[in-house]
Amino acid sequence: MEFELDEEQRLLRRTVRETVAKMRGRPEDQQWDTYLRLGWLEAPPLELALILEELGYAADPTPFLATATWFAPLTGRLPEGSGTAVFDGAGRYVLDADRADEVALLTGRGVIVVPGAELAAPRVPVLDPHLHAAHVDADGLVAAVPEPALLGLAATCVGACRRVLDLVLDHVRQRAQFGRPLGSFQAVKHKAADMHVAIERARALTHFGALTLAENDPRRTDAAHMAKAAAGECQRLVFRHGLQLFGAMGFTWENELQYHLKRAQACDLLLGVASVHRKALLA
Amino acid sequence: MKLADDPEVEAFRAEFAAFLDAHLPDEAGARERAGSSAHVPRWARRWQRTLFDAGWLLPGQPPEYGGRDATLPQQLAHLEELARRRVYHSFNPQGLGIIAASLLTFGTEEQKRRWAVPILRAEITAALGMSEPEAGSDLASLRTRAVPDRDGFVVNGQKVWTSGAHDADVLLAFVRTDPDAPKHQGISALLVPTGAEGVVRRPFGSIAAEDDLDFNEVFLTDVRVPRENLLGPLNEGWRVANGSLGHERTLLWLSYAERLEDLLRDAADAGAGQEWYATLRMDLTALRLLGHRQLGQDRDPAEISVLKLLGSEAVQSASLYALEAHGVEGLEHPARTGPYHHMHHEHFISSWFERYARSFAGTIAGGTSEIQRNIIAERILGLPR
Repeated sequence: MEFELDEEQRLLRRTVRETVAKMRGRPEDQQWDTYLRLGWLEAPPLELALILEELGYAADPTPFLATATWFAPLTGRLPEGSGTAVFDGAGRYVLDADRADEVALLTGRGVIVVPGAELAAPRVPVLDPHLHAAHVDADGLVAAVPEPALLGLAATCVGACRRVLDLVLDHVRQRAQFGRPLGSFQAVKHKAADMHVAIERARALTHFGALTLAENDPRRTDAAHMAKAAAGECQRLVFRHGLQLFGAMGFTWENELQYHLKRAQACDLLLGVASVHRKALLA
Repeated sequence: MKLADDPEVEAFRAEFAAFLDAHLPDEAGARERAGSSAHVPRWARRWQRTLFDAGWLLPGQPPEYGGRDATLPQQLAHLEELARRRVYHSFNPQGLGIIAASLLTFGTEEQKRRWAVPILRAEITAALGMSEPEAGSDLASLRTRAVPDRDGFVVNGQKVWTSGAHDADVLLAFVRTDPDAPKHQGISALLVPTGAEGVVRRPFGSIAAEDDLDFNEVFLTDVRVPRENLLGPLNEGWRVANGSLGHERTLLWLSYAERLEDLLRDAADAGAGQEWYATLRMDLTALRLLGHRQLGQDRDPAEISVLKLLGSEAVQSASLYALEAHGVEGLEHPARTGPYHHMHHEHFISSWFERYARSFAGTIAGGTSEIQRNIIAERILGLPR
């Protein structure tokens, strides 16, 4: 196997990163329109993982994740506008269900698509201020393992974790205590190194999952569980070390660290935390 | 990025697999156990020689040195085939992978003929004299001195943790040849025959058993070493050390992956239904993926620290989980234990307790986990020294 991004994939990653950075702070619908216009929703699995990692890095507020990795794979098409889907059988905490133009319901009789406006789906208040989650009130829902959705959450989580680490690195390079930059202390270095290793591990498994999905490889369900579990484990470590290393500054609303910590934690909590997916891997 | 294997690598693998099927030594011969990491049992000497003659010993080398100019992915396939059959190509891995490899990179034609080829043909074995009592992770602090003399050097000092030195014919020792130079400069690499006057070796047991002799203290007192035993330029031993370790390290992750694979297989009975089993599978998959990525063009060598840290710590956690899963049975210590289970594993299987204890070799040797974390933080993440 080859586990290096090729030239086009690297170029895509760079383009996405620059575009997302440029769109930062713009109105949400402008961001959404731009992503649609660039055709990101139609990207194949590995490319989609790269896009989602960058959107996770930016704590993207649009319904891109749910539309690309929840609605589209389940229905086999893109929605008119934005879309989401229900996987858990109970319709709890469905990403973007309060604002999606179309909602895919997985029922015992197959997939039913309902216009969002016709559903009772009240938004639930969640800690991540830019995340939309809603309870969907519908009958006959069944649960499923949606590989693309798990991988989408994993990729987003990896991006959010990487942003936390980058913010931490900037902070510990600049902030001096006892006459030395914090980053020169070994206790700080070791936490940063462990965060890096956890991110690399989760990212590798996410890319592997996307590859198996793209090639319809029989390992794809296992790979999706591994990616989701590794991303969850990664965020747990990154959340703890990240907030700790920022000290009191990281505990404030003003510091942007909070958005990325919350996005990473949300990605772990949605569709099952790490231990749920580890259990799914047992022989 | 793609899942599919490279057909050229697979053809290479198939050729080697066919060779192994035809030439692997029989089981009876394999029962003779090695005494240390430099002691090559009789059957294994013949086996290493067979590999050398066929160009399958170090396939990355040119044909005259037991290879076939193989690419890095081909070398990986070669090691994977050996591991799949739990066969080692040599019981003297440092002699082969580090010392002979260094000789082939930095040695003169005469040195290659005199030392490298006999090591490759398992006629002699070699040990690596790097660490000292006050120079472990901080290798540049080494103090063993070699003072130039009319036709060579006089060496005085002490080495420690010298794996297999008591069974080795020659020591590749890193010594200080210019005491006034900055730490990294002023070091040279010298081939010291272990039979030379003034060389005293004291093997000592490992945590696994009092008679599990691999570690050595080596005392060097007025040892005369001829000039022609200097490997590489005078005072450039640091470059030799880094060069020799470089290639070996590229594929180092594979040994952890193979050990995880072993653990996964051997612990399956205890592991079924337990969450750590899933963690083990994830660690193994991630390690293999990141290892394959490291074979790509222009990868940062510092990333090898990610592989070493992830791999060695995963082996350690997995061994501990397996030990705990076996409960009190883990106390048992079968009479036939040992690290050399690569050939015909069932005869040399270790207890879970022993495997956990031995896993610390991975997190301590070759740069501790703490040193790997420093490397990651400083060289990859750019934190200040």
